Amino acid sequence: MTDTTSMTQASGGGLSAQKLGLIAVAVLLAGLIAVPVAVGDEFVYHIFITICLFAALSTAWNIVGGYAGQLSLGHAIFYGIGGYAGVILVNLGISPWFGMFAGAAVAVVAAIVVSWPCFRLHGPFFALATIAFLEVFRVLALHFRELTGGATGLMIQLNIGWEWMVFRERLPALLIAFGMLLVCLAVAWAIRSHRLGFYLVATRERESAAKAAGVGTVKVRLMAVSISAALSAMVGTFHAMYLTFIEPESMFSLQFSIQIAMFALIGGIGTVWGPLLGAVLLVPITEFARGALGSEAIGLHGFVYGVVLMLVVLFLPNGIMGVVHRFTSGSEKTEGEQAAPVAAAPRSAVPHEAGREVMRVEGLQKHFGGLHVTNDVGFTLREGEILGVIGPNGAGKTTVFNMLSGFLKPDEGRVSVLSPSGEWQEPATPADFATLGVGRTFQIVQPFAAMTVEENIMVGAFHRHPHVGDAREAARETAHRMGLGPYLNAEAASLTIGGLKRLEVARVMAMEPRILLLDEVMAGINQTDVRRAVDLMLSIRDTGVSIIAIEHVMQAVMSLSDRVIVINSGQIIAQGDPQEVVRDEHVIEAYLGKEFTHA
Amino acid sequence: MDTFLQIVANGLMLGGLFAIVAVGLTLIFGIVKVINFAHGEFLMVGMYLTFLLSTGMDVHPYLTAAAVAPALFVLGALTQRLLIQPLMSARDEHVQIFATVGLSTALMNLALLVFGADIANTPAHGVRSQVMLGEVRILTGQLWVFGAAILLVIGLQLFMKKTRTGRAIRATAQNRAAARLMGINDKFIYILTFGLGAACVGLGSSLIAPLYPTSPTIGTYFVLIAFVCVVLGGLGSIPGAFFGALVIGLVDALSGFYIGSDLREAVVFTIFLLILILKPSGLFGTRMNLSHVSP
Repeated sequence: MTDTTSMTQASGGGLSAQKLGLIAVAVLLAGLIAVPVAVGDEFVYHIFITICLFAALSTAWNIVGGYAGQLSLGHAIFYGIGGYAGVILVNLGISPWFGMFAGAAVAVVAAIVVSWPCFRLHGPFFALATIAFLEVFRVLALHFRELTGGATGLMIQLNIGWEWMVFRERLPALLIAFGMLLVCLAVAWAIRSHRLGFYLVATRERESAAKAAGVGTVKVRLMAVSISAALSAMVGTFHAMYLTFIEPESMFSLQFSIQIAMFALIGGIGTVWGPLLGAVLLVPITEFARGALGSEAIGLHGFVYGVVLMLVVLFLPNGIMGVVHRFTSGSEKTEGEQAAPVAAAPRSAVPHEAGREVMRVEGLQKHFGGLHVTNDVGFTLREGEILGVIGPNGAGKTTVFNMLSGFLKPDEGRVSVLSPSGEWQEPATPADFATLGVGRTFQIVQPFAAMTVEENIMVGAFHRHPHVGDAREAARETAHRMGLGPYLNAEAASLTIGGLKRLEVARVMAMEPRILLLDEVMAGINQTDVRRAVDLMLSIRDTGVSIIAIEHVMQAVMSLSDRVIVINSGQIIAQGDPQEVVRDEHVIEAYLGKEFTHA
Repeated sequence: MDTFLQIVANGLMLGGLFAIVAVGLTLIFGIVKVINFAHGEFLMVGMYLTFLLSTGMDVHPYLTAAAVAPALFVLGALTQRLLIQPLMSARDEHVQIFATVGLSTALMNLALLVFGADIANTPAHGVRSQVMLGEVRILTGQLWVFGAAILLVIGLQLFMKKTRTGRAIRATAQNRAAARLMGINDKFIYILTFGLGAACVGLGSSLIAPLYPTSPTIGTYFVLIAFVCVVLGGLGSIPGAFFGALVIGLVDALSGFYIGSDLREAVVFTIFLLILILKPSGLFGTRMNLSHVSP
């Protein structure tokens, strides 16, 4: 009972803080329109238009750089494409309102071409690749003079009016820039609060765990860059109309790309409102410096940017939103509560019987260089059966698991899984396995560290429940069952190793798998919990789920398993009833050495 | 045929120039495992220092290296101590990238503030005179740069393989925790290595300054090319960076002549992208322990 009350309090407190935050954002957004209208000064208008543009671009960047964690320093590619598409079409007599969609379409194609090959690159390498692409685009824009005007740039024909996005007054331009900012914020917010956002953050935090949870990691990243590129291009089109003149050096600029990323970092990378905050705070300072000091202080605003960037990185690595969050979430912390016990599930009285075959493993072979890690491993798994896999350290148990879940491709042999519709299929990728209902845990726990416990489990739950509400419901239920109820709102990174093990199981349980692969989930948990975990697994088994469990805790293996497989040096050396297997000579020899075989 | 030979010679000389910038970058990358986006600005700072010293005291720019290289060593060591070291344990690698990007932006714009956007010409003191090597014409300064690059590579290799400090540096690069257990002060090693990498580019800047006009943004061009050389040669490999630089110098010169001088960079960066995507260990790369940064 205490669980539920503390949970509602926490979520109640979170809600009011959330409301307060939304009011603050609304006031901020209203200010972006109200201040320049009230002041009425041309220069102030210009500053606020610039704020809106940078906030919009930075918000779009954040979908890739923040949510997906792919540090793009080439986002000016998409902005530049939008700008050029707009200007070229305007000069052909086509309104930028159409041009911006044309630009967005080209940008999406460019985004996919640029990012697909680069997804295997991480961190600095992805950043370098995006810079290189940006340089290529800049050089090409300089080269194809007929299209882009080359180094001399392109002027737009000055047709004034709403249909051309060009105005004598500043107010309409501000309204368009503001509208674009709202669109970007709405899209970013929608992504973050739906399944795609969860999948992106999960992929960023632990790619392999995300794959195991059935996330199409490449697909979700491509969606993120496409959306981000389309938004950036649309803003680029408008900015080109606002500037009335574009050239490759300013449209495909590395400095500009860095600035876009910088506002997000300073505001709070990966948060919905961070980029807006960053732009609101920094753009006025530097624009005033530029306006007030003029050409005497060329370089001053860049210098300020650079210094602020270093200071923020050193002292506020989570940006302004990190500070805000620290103040608002201080009360929500769980006060060192003991983990609730794993709910002991009632055993069904009906004696258990294994059903039809659901997984067939035939002749698996795997070599790592000269090392023969898996040698002719084959077995079958029946519906509602628990198969224990034991063997000394280094025997190759986890390698077999990796082949049973699509993380490793066997050199020879095959793994087939019975689909829910009753056909045998041979899945190849982790996503295929997940789709067929094969869920796995990792021996070395792989939590999504920056997400809360609830969000971690939700990533698994999304597999069956695409809607956030349902997934949250399912995740909470699973969490309570796994004794993680008190920690729902805690960051996964704050859990103990025992808690992380449970979280690992909870995430895969939330996928409601038909076949469950558990890799040493009982290592390092206490005796009482081992017994409870055994009961839990048996109750899962009784619902018709098949389980393969690698386990060193013999007490658990003996009481759990319907059948046991012993692997040594990559080969199955014994299999069958647990009681018989532990008396097998080969098994005793493998664990203890020859001299113990007659002990 | 003469033209072709001349282009190849130009390419090799250009490669030597890239090499002297890339060697320091790959050293920092291979050991500290940080991609120093400010490396180009280190070069720029060194070139301005060379310009100021050689015009102010009217000495040969090469002689200023005696002061510029130590100055850059201090700049590099301070960067590691004050900016990178506090971030070494950061969970997110974004943070280190932004730190060096911030330093790069700040230094570049500081130069704009101090020197303006105009270029500064370091007096040549004869290094821009031509010599004939058979049929091809080469600037004496280019030959000096090329020779210095070779000596630098050999010297660094000897230092890394033969000296106690060099071995400590390599051990730290292989496994930081194990090196600490062996009594190596890893923080000091990182500071030393960063300083050394910056000193290399400091030496380079004194040699490059009389050949290239100095401007606040010159670093951007060189750092991007240096990244290409480093990735091509295998990350962290000093000889690799040298040969990578020669390849890029040749590609630059040949594509400039046969494809079009305005498309040289596009060719270079396309090759870079292909290597990065298809063979991230580089053309001459031996696999290194780059656990948290490998592509």
